[in-house]
Amino acid sequence: MSIPTNPKIEQKQTQVVWKRSRKAKNIELNDEMVKVYVWELPVRIFHWINAFSIIVLMITGVFIGRPFVSASIQEEAYYSFLMGWARYIHFFVAFLFTINLAVRWYWVYKGNEHATSNPFRFSFWKEAFETIKYYLFMKNNKKHYIGHNPLAQLSYWIFIGLGSIIMMFTGYYLLFEPQPESIYGKMFMWVAHLFGGDSYSVRSWHHLVAWGFIIFTVVHVYMAFREDYLQRNGTMSSIFTGYKIERKKEALGEHDEK
Amino acid sequence: MKRKTILEEVLDRGFTRRDFLKMCTALAATMGLDFSQTDQVVAAMEKNQRVPVIWLQFQDCTGCSESFIRSTHPKVESVLLNMISLEYSEALSAASGHQIEAALEHVLEHYPGEYILAVEGSLPTDDAFLTVGGVSAKETFLRAAKGAKAIIAYGSCSSWGGIPAAYPNPTKAKPITHFVKDKPVILVPGCPPIAEVMTGVIAHIITFGKLPELDHLGRPKAFYRHRIHDKCNRRAYFDAGLFAESFDDEGARQGYCLYKVGCKGPTTYNSCAEMRWNGGVSYPIQSGNPCIGCSEKGFWDNGPFFVRRAKIPASQTTINPETVGAIAVGVTAAGVAAHAMVTAMKKKDEHHD
Repeated sequence: MSIPTNPKIEQKQTQVVWKRSRKAKNIELNDEMVKVYVWELPVRIFHWINAFSIIVLMITGVFIGRPFVSASIQEEAYYSFLMGWARYIHFFVAFLFTINLAVRWYWVYKGNEHATSNPFRFSFWKEAFETIKYYLFMKNNKKHYIGHNPLAQLSYWIFIGLGSIIMMFTGYYLLFEPQPESIYGKMFMWVAHLFGGDSYSVRSWHHLVAWGFIIFTVVHVYMAFREDYLQRNGTMSSIFTGYKIERKKEALGEHDEK
Repeated sequence: MKRKTILEEVLDRGFTRRDFLKMCTALAATMGLDFSQTDQVVAAMEKNQRVPVIWLQFQDCTGCSESFIRSTHPKVESVLLNMISLEYSEALSAASGHQIEAALEHVLEHYPGEYILAVEGSLPTDDAFLTVGGVSAKETFLRAAKGAKAIIAYGSCSSWGGIPAAYPNPTKAKPITHFVKDKPVILVPGCPPIAEVMTGVIAHIITFGKLPELDHLGRPKAFYRHRIHDKCNRRAYFDAGLFAESFDDEGARQGYCLYKVGCKGPTTYNSCAEMRWNGGVSYPIQSGNPCIGCSEKGFWDNGPFFVRRAKIPASQTTINPETVGAIAVGVTAAGVAAHAMVTAMKKKDEHHD
């Protein structure tokens, strides 16, 4: 005898497991326009801590690699601790960067529809291609995106996703390589095998990928201003307030698709 | 014939037991052992016989042999005469020709699984570049490696390929680990390695009858655990931010850190800063020359000496990451500016329409 089941309950459970991404909140302004809460607070906090970290890490990082100023007191070593402080700030901010990114990863699952991205869809790549055509001033079928367009999402996967992972692993390897026997040392010693085996190769990766972040930053800031200039939808203020002003049709229409 | 123990050899040579104990204590210190472990060394030297060693040289410069004979503690004569019996060495054996070849055959035949094979220099994958007496280097090596208890790769050439394997690597040189996989190999890189490290590794094998603890790349941890940078006598100047900008400025005279004149100490694992050279007298950084990273993999390709660079992954090319990075950012900024102009023009056109 089989246990009788209620098909309705089963369906409900399935829905819980395969939870759809949470929709962004809307505030109606008038018949045509609507305020969309695109970037929730954790996303905005992440964004600014991340931006701050990247800038500080880059300045201190370049200094560590190529010290562009010397200590002002040209005397015995114990009067100054310039490189020591640069390294200390670099390491401290590196931990901040890591924790910040971990929280953001949590928010990928917890956040609204604009906090996540799924590159494992054909439409993602098709629409990314349309977006490339759009940026090259070619004829295209690019939609209007309230969150990030697929090309932007792709750039975050590459730089903020993969780039950060490379920087974190190579960075922690370099930090802990003097103590290979410590817990942290053991946690990161395998990294060397992935990046060429010796300390110099790991370091080279760390130096080269760092510049990728600056190139990303330049393009990212430009694209954000450009979007604001063309769409007039408050892109630039949205990263402070979280809200974008969108047409009701588009804001709600996009929801219906999903 | 019963072989004498190391202690008996020492006493035969007119030393007292007191001298023997002194030698063991110095040896334990060199091997990085705790003083309380000295008795283990003494016990081993009392019981163990001298270990036969075959020393083969391939694509090398004999620099490792030269370094080896300058070992001061243990003194090389005590290593050579008391602890090991160097049966075959192109540089150090008195005999030559058929006589020395016969000695080699004797060891291979009578001491299988007992002798240590020391290798200096890399091996070419193309035999045309190194064939001695009609026998290719590869064949000589593999024959000697077959019965060896352990193989010691002395120097950067046998450990990593070294200078013969540097770009463009005409002989297609490879480290010895490329040719033998089923034998324990200890890498003792350096160009040359420190003499005391070379003798210390042998002493460890004799004392404990097994290989010293190795790191993830196969180097003995006792000597390659730290970077030069971690133990550098100029490290305080690095942390302070005091750097010599050139070899003849005031900073160089004051003994400031050599980081900006291209010191590769931060990426180089070796014990120069602790053991030092020539009996502990000095080492390159102490005497004012930046580390060239000679004990690291592919050191000849890791950029010019006296310059700090980054290697493009999976290549033998190095670049200055800051210069290249700044240029790349500049190009990006120019591209962004051009794109912005086109965007503005297009938008203007739309308004006119």
